[in-house]
Amino acid sequence: MKTKVVLNFNPELANQPITNNLIAKHHLNVNILRAEIDEIGGKMVIELSGKADDIRRGIDYLKQNGVGVRPIKEGVRRDDDVCTHCGMCVSICPTKALAYDPKTGKITFTEEKCVACGVCIDACPPRAMEILI
Amino acid sequence: MTAEEFKQFVKTNGVKKAATEVDVVTTGTFGAMCSSGAYFNFGHTEPPIKMQRVWMDGIQAHAGLAAVDAYLGATELDETNNMMHGGAHVIEDLVRGKAVRLKATAYGTDCYPRKEMDTYVSLKTVNQAVLLNVRNCYQNYAVATNSSSRTLYTYMGKLLPEFGNATYSSAGELSPLLNDPYYRSIGIGTRIFLGGGQGFVIWEGTQFNPGVPRTPEGVPKRPAGSLAVIGDLKQMSPDFLRGLTFTRYGSSLGLGIGIPIPILDEEMARSCAVTNDLIFTAVFDYSQQTRSRTVLREVSYAALRSGEIDIKGKMVPTSSLSSLYKARQIAQLLKTQIMKREFMIEKPIQNFSLERVFKPLDVRTEKEAM
Ligand code: SF4
Ligand code: SF4
Repeated sequence: MKTKVVLNFNPELANQPITNNLIAKHHLNVNILRAEIDEIGGKMVIELSGKADDIRRGIDYLKQNGVGVRPIKEGVRRDDDVCTHCGMCVSICPTKALAYDPKTGKITFTEEKCVACGVCIDACPPRAMEILI
Repeated sequence: MTAEEFKQFVKTNGVKKAATEVDVVTTGTFGAMCSSGAYFNFGHTEPPIKMQRVWMDGIQAHAGLAAVDAYLGATELDETNNMMHGGAHVIEDLVRGKAVRLKATAYGTDCYPRKEMDTYVSLKTVNQAVLLNVRNCYQNYAVATNSSSRTLYTYMGKLLPEFGNATYSSAGELSPLLNDPYYRSIGIGTRIFLGGGQGFVIWEGTQFNPGVPRTPEGVPKRPAGSLAVIGDLKQMSPDFLRGLTFTRYGSSLGLGIGIPIPILDEEMARSCAVTNDLIFTAVFDYSQQTRSRTVLREVSYAALRSGEIDIKGKMVPTSSLSSLYKARQIAQLLKTQIMKREFMIEKPIQNFSLERVFKPLDVRTEKEAM
């Protein structure tokens, strides 16, 4: 089974081998889709694969260690009336869900590719991207 | 012809033929133009007030002018520094036809006794609403990247750590001043497409700096010229005027500008034929917190547009901050308006001086400043 989660952690946790422990102790495969760390804390989008029980225990382990875990179930939507097709989001979207179309000059949004990591939300200058809850 | 069509035409027919057959080339750009704002005349109250402090939807406008005039800056924020709604957003709201809350206070004089005013205004109620921007339409701009270990939030957008991305903001070969590198046809008095309406170039833009390094064709490789522009806000449209938010930097105005360039001679045709592979700019590391960052490398707009550039051996994804889609739309619109004679082309009344230098601000004594 596979599941994608967004992790939020404070700076102290950033230096601990949390993902290593997930792999070693909880027999999970961890695929890091996106990692961002700054002075306020860190954010990571990971895909966990393994047995359902292990995934549940792995997520519990993260929570016990003070990591915020948000499963990616919600979608992200683009308001096409607001988007100016500037392209700011293109270089930060980890999955190329937002991509430049050289033919039209427009920025296309492919929902199927979007993992709802949310990194584009605060990067979009006219605020066209929104998380649906 | 639009600038893109013209470049194609020159490729197949040569500069000579282009110079004789094409009259006008239209350029366009749509990007964040921070040094913008609008002034208003609200009309007189009963009894009259000499507004000393003015707020429009909670954002302070500069009121150190006479009585009921005020200037609202695009990057102005409210007291809480709410970046989601700055001066630029208020200007967009007005252009959308919305009413905006106007508050004013004053100390009161014999001729202007009123001390407070709290009301609503819109583009319908005010006498003048004029976009007046002191630095727009930069001729070329830097590429920003980030070598540090944390995400940076800048006016060049979100910069991911460890050279995670690079952002650039010029429209390249479609950008007005890159097609007229020595300001032969763009000068004071040039009529322009501004935010959906028509406006004028009124002066050189602030920080005008024509003396930067240039390519053999004369195209500047660094931010060089810029324009001060003016236009009636009442003609403008939210399609080409937007309030923007750069997280943890502030608000800015997304603005569309288009400028026609008459093909006066072969030299003009040659400069308008310039393509993205011949326009270069410099990449800077924005984690260096200084006004004189070191150049990491020079790169062409063709490379930037490809979606990836090489920085120190790493392929770094690129993002444009200015909309190519809207730039094209503007160049097309301008072309149609010129053909329908709805847009008249003006010769500049006066050309810009090429002698300007761009000076820094240092802490100095009164004597040193003299
Ligand atoms: S950053 Fe926002 S406005 Fe720009 S292309 Fe992406 S979604 Fe559209
Ligand atoms: S949330 Fe935004 S950045 Fe993340 S995958 Fe979806 S489109 Fe890309």
